[in-house]
Amino acid sequence: MDLLLGSIAAGIVLGMVIALVALGLTIIFGVMEIVNFAHGEFLMVGMYTGLLTAQATGTDPIFTLPVAAIVGFLLGVICYAGFIKFLIRGPMVAQLLGTFGLMLFLRNLALLIFGSSDRTVHHGILVGKSFDIGMGIILPATKAAAAGLSVIAFLAVWLLMNRTKIGKALTATALNAQAARYMGIPTEKMNALAWGIGGGSVTVAGALIVNFWAVNPFMGLLFTMIAFTVVALGGFGSVPGAFFAGLVVGLIMEIPGFWDFFTYTFDWPWMADVPMTSLKYMWIYVAYFVITVIRPRGLFGWKH
Amino acid sequence: MNRLLRLASVGIALAAVLGLMLPVKAFSAEEIKIGVIYPLTGGAAAAGRELRAGAELAAEIANGVMADLPMTMAKNGGIKAMGGAKINLIFKDHEGNPTVGADLAKKLILDDKVHGILGCYHSSVTKTVSAVCEQYGVPMINGSSTSPDLTMRGFKWFWRTTPHDKWFTKDLFELLKGLTEGKVKGVKAVPKKDIEVLAAACENTEWGSLVTEMIKLFAGEYEFKLRKTLLYADKATDLSSEVRSLKAAKPDVMLFASYTSDAILMLKTLKAEKAGPKIIWGQDAGFETPEFRNTLGDDIVGILTRTVFLPQVVEVKKVAGQVNRMYKAKTGNDLSGASARSFTGLQTWVHVIEKAGSTVPAEIQKAANAIEIPGDELVVPWAGVKFSTTGDELGQNVLGSGLIGQYQKAKDGKVALEIVYPFDVVTADMVYPFPGW
Repeated sequence: MDLLLGSIAAGIVLGMVIALVALGLTIIFGVMEIVNFAHGEFLMVGMYTGLLTAQATGTDPIFTLPVAAIVGFLLGVICYAGFIKFLIRGPMVAQLLGTFGLMLFLRNLALLIFGSSDRTVHHGILVGKSFDIGMGIILPATKAAAAGLSVIAFLAVWLLMNRTKIGKALTATALNAQAARYMGIPTEKMNALAWGIGGGSVTVAGALIVNFWAVNPFMGLLFTMIAFTVVALGGFGSVPGAFFAGLVVGLIMEIPGFWDFFTYTFDWPWMADVPMTSLKYMWIYVAYFVITVIRPRGLFGWKH
Repeated sequence: MNRLLRLASVGIALAAVLGLMLPVKAFSAEEIKIGVIYPLTGGAAAAGRELRAGAELAAEIANGVMADLPMTMAKNGGIKAMGGAKINLIFKDHEGNPTVGADLAKKLILDDKVHGILGCYHSSVTKTVSAVCEQYGVPMINGSSTSPDLTMRGFKWFWRTTPHDKWFTKDLFELLKGLTEGKVKGVKAVPKKDIEVLAAACENTEWGSLVTEMIKLFAGEYEFKLRKTLLYADKATDLSSEVRSLKAAKPDVMLFASYTSDAILMLKTLKAEKAGPKIIWGQDAGFETPEFRNTLGDDIVGILTRTVFLPQVVEVKKVAGQVNRMYKAKTGNDLSGASARSFTGLQTWVHVIEKAGSTVPAEIQKAANAIEIPGDELVVPWAGVKFSTTGDELGQNVLGSGLIGQYQKAKDGKVALEIVYPFDVVTADMVYPFPGW
């Protein structure tokens, strides 16, 4: 039973972290209907920002979040104003290939600057500490903090989108950009803002994640794919959808844990020989495939 | 006219003498080009730096003259049999990627025209690179890849100086058996049921997969229960589900085969998930790098790793102490398993070329198969270097041996490896069980 509870808890915490990673992607898509393939690279930028700021200033990595947020916001706005703005005039294929190019650019830039070695945070208030809640539930402090911030970030974005004028303007831009422009909404600014918020949220996620995962220039794609699955499952553009879908994906990633639970509860030795941990990412793509076939608009999708 | 004739004849004579001298001069200036393929970037870059420094130091010693160093190669100022020809190392970075390694080997052979290859650390890369060498008939010496498979392919251009994982894994089970029999210094006989259940996690390339097979083999032979084995990607950013899966098996002993960054991540995750087995053992590589020690600090006290070289060897072997001082002056670090074996790999190259007296591949092949380097020339604690030329294993050094070390805290507060196996050369009492985090 400990195994089961432990895996569920781990899955939920991981899910919240993943949801935070996917938040920026769903905002950008929701407002502009553009799929940002460079999303994972934004995360990588956030991770390097957190790591290097902490190292350069000697502060704890947890205090680098504001720096990461600012860097991410600027990165988002600059990408929009300098690149995406021109891209959206073209056909869909141009947008796809354009953000794909952005991904390659950022990745290789990172490779040039930082080299290909893994880098990790080794010291910090939360690093290496964990809470043993009992019943097999062990929460690493870094992940718990990331999960907590994830909830806060989602609430903040949800409030921004639903309770403020800017949020209404963003939603209006998302629903019908032309009509919004007629109503006097500066849609260009709204688009830039969406990229800023999207970029800022994902770099903050990165600065948190670097506390427990290693960063290298190539790690972006894995997270882009996971974030895609989350956004597809939750419904493109839906903020609450991304959160719940994040939880589902977190639990899917814990399938090896559930497998172990059955292995040792029923004592079936053949189950122990199945390399479930090697297949842990496979289930995410299986889920992605199933969603696109069965319910293309996702659980909470409201577009199309 | 007469004068002119005389001048001309003197000139011709001079030209003839010069002409005679030229080939000699060219011969003495000939250099031996060895292509060295190591992981200089990527997850194993830290090990790569040590490997490189080890090979460089060996080349410096071989090319210079160091009278007080009791090594044959330190006396000759180059290759004596070839008029003092110098060793020139051409380094390439394979990034831990077998395809990149094979491409680099082709480049070294075809473009740089190297006379031989040294490398490659990762067994997976050594496998592809040695295949290229075999294809082109270029000799390759490997100093630090330990997948047993490598010398079982019947290759004629491949020689390996290091002992391999079959021996090392057997050492581990001998240690476990010794624990139950009370042979381990400082530990009373442990009932077998206390350390019977094993779980293993190895990285999923060539090397880790084969270590898993060896662990399975010996667990059966020594009658231990191997309840869980899993493979993981050495570039993984997260190992928490792997660690939970290991924990779920409730093992007494956890076994790992990891490269540098994944070894660190694995240990950090074990700590975060509060895993507490009685014994943690690593199959060298990542578990022995300075980065592993520096990053994890006191957390690694009590962890075992097999190794081929420990600073304590310096106390037993004078030549190891001398080389270690030079290495430390060069890099700031003590010799490690990686650097000492890389050093020995290049040292073997020097001996082979010296014996061959030529850079003709066939001559080198003949020399390598006949070579015998005595143990007192080596920095590693082996009986020597001598390659097998018959049987299942071709080109394997049959005089190598392994050690098992345990990280312990010295009086000065520094964490260092002490030898706990073989039982006749132990340097400290073994810490058992693993004290936890």
